[in-house]
Amino acid sequence: MSTAAMVVEDLKVHYPVRKHLFSPSKSTFLKAVDGVSLELRPGEILGLVGESGCGKSSLGRAIIRLNKPTSGKVQIGGVDFLSLQGAPLRKARTQVQMIFQDPYASLDPRMTVFDILAEPLVTHKTRDRQLLARKIRLSLETVGLSSRALKKYPHEFSGGQRQRIAIARALILEPKVIIADEPVSSLDVSVQAQILNLLKQIQTQFGLSMIFISHNLAVVRYISDRIAVMYLGKIVEVAPRDELYRSPRHPYTQALISAVPIPDPRLERERRRIPLTGELPSPINPPKGCAFCTRCSKVFDRCRTEAPVLRSVASAHSVSCFEVEKSP
Amino acid sequence: MSAPILEVKDLKAHFHTRRGIVKAVDGISFQVQPGETLGIVGESGSGKSVCQMSYLGLIPQPPLRIAGGEALFKGTDLLKARPSTMRQLRGNRISMIFQEPMTSLNPYLRIGSQLIEPLVLHCQKSKKEAWKIASEALAAVGISDPEAAMRAYPHEFSGGMRQRVMIAMALTTKPDVLIADEPTTALDVTVQAQILEILKKLQAQTGMAVIFITHDLGVVAGIADRVLVMYAGRLFEEGTTEHVFYRSHHPYTQALLRSTPRIDVTQGSLPAIGGLPPDLSRLTGGCPFYERCGQHKDVCANQFPKVYWPEPNHRSYCHLEEAV
Repeated sequence: MSTAAMVVEDLKVHYPVRKHLFSPSKSTFLKAVDGVSLELRPGEILGLVGESGCGKSSLGRAIIRLNKPTSGKVQIGGVDFLSLQGAPLRKARTQVQMIFQDPYASLDPRMTVFDILAEPLVTHKTRDRQLLARKIRLSLETVGLSSRALKKYPHEFSGGQRQRIAIARALILEPKVIIADEPVSSLDVSVQAQILNLLKQIQTQFGLSMIFISHNLAVVRYISDRIAVMYLGKIVEVAPRDELYRSPRHPYTQALISAVPIPDPRLERERRRIPLTGELPSPINPPKGCAFCTRCSKVFDRCRTEAPVLRSVASAHSVSCFEVEKSP
Repeated sequence: MSAPILEVKDLKAHFHTRRGIVKAVDGISFQVQPGETLGIVGESGSGKSVCQMSYLGLIPQPPLRIAGGEALFKGTDLLKARPSTMRQLRGNRISMIFQEPMTSLNPYLRIGSQLIEPLVLHCQKSKKEAWKIASEALAAVGISDPEAAMRAYPHEFSGGMRQRVMIAMALTTKPDVLIADEPTTALDVTVQAQILEILKKLQAQTGMAVIFITHDLGVVAGIADRVLVMYAGRLFEEGTTEHVFYRSHHPYTQALLRSTPRIDVTQGSLPAIGGLPPDLSRLTGGCPFYERCGQHKDVCANQFPKVYWPEPNHRSYCHLEEAV
């Protein structure tokens, strides 16, 4: 375990909700992330997939303390990142950086590209003008932008170019871990491929580890080494990339993969879909037992009363499902 | 081939802005037969939505100006039709569903009163008759308790349920043509699969023509009979879905297919298309793709290519074909 780039242990993010606008207590909680443990290995891209509302973004944001986690641990380099305060926290923050979905919202419109890239350096590392300029030029080069971009403002760039700037900003402190939250979801296919290739390239070039959060299972298949599937605040399956797509074990993963269209008419029309019935249950009032029991085709009595936990079914492949436990 | 229900000829829809004329749609021709699904594929800014909305009169003029062309619906040119005629056709014979089911439903009105509106307006039904038809339409799109749903407000529904309501609303008048503009883009994949199934089923029952606009090649592969590929306001390629996916003749279509991530295979590399889509207000009159095209020739910069027919019902616009 000590070799991992990051270890997340039993992380919970519960948001208090009021029943009504004027109700006095906040006694109920929306369990966005409900006990997630995962390990990020050095130099790997871990795909985190799930549908909207499954808690994948809450998890990513809680790891870097953008949301306050309710409980749990995040260990980076042997230190519990969540318990740090003050100067040690500021130092540790340089190790984990984030790339957001919307490059229109994540870059300050009143700052030039130079200022955007200089800010993290000035805060954490250096004020030396020459050093700043050198580092900034280097990181721009890495993401494929020319130094003419330095004096421009974000609005002068297209979505894909802005995402390159956001990537340069994430790289500039030389972090160990990058959390990318849907970084290509707002981009067109032709530009999306450019950014995916860039993310792959910087991962190898700097040997960093990445959590790639996405709802798009095809994109995740291309970029990830290992994939974790989330449903209603919990990880239901983790497996190496090819194994997950070749032999998904959790009924939810199976349904999810079967629903993604293939850009090939003959294959697409011959596919058998595993339909999901019903609606996603509310995370304020999740089902007792297995969170997926209300929509699962293989549900039996035990699923409704007891919650399954992740169990290993093959090397590096874990599933939380009683049906899989019955017939491993 | 039977007579097309809708035929658009050389449509030009330009926006007149302070920065100049933006040729959002520049000479698009296509037709749809009854019972057929025509997929329109393109990236953002390719003009795929503007093309459909312009001839329906859904974009204010100005800034839009129709610079030429015809849009024949059952022989009537929609571009010359009077506003009253258009009001009779829109939402009645030609219906449209949009990407954002939240913004296209009125949050103040119950689902029921929104659903019966087209029936009362277009089909001269009484409110009682309309209510019955609307409630059946909700059942047809897979809403389990239609009577309760009729009394609900839009915010009580999830995105998938709202899109079902939109489909039900579009289909109550039994339109001849349904234009679906990215109807599943805002939805999760499992919900998308349900919505596409419902659309296919209802099309088979009613025999309507569907124009399905999307940027998702996977969705098109599953639903369309024929596919149009658009780029920067121009039509690049048209053919049956098999033509376009297996025997594509246009470098852009080919590059788009290569750069699409796939769920069924592990791709070692994803050849991206370099560069960016062009600024539509600064087009030179050549092929808008030539700067990003790996195979461009000198002529591409100055002249838009003529149509080339690699096989019957399959056309492509590219100078490379002329050399062959």
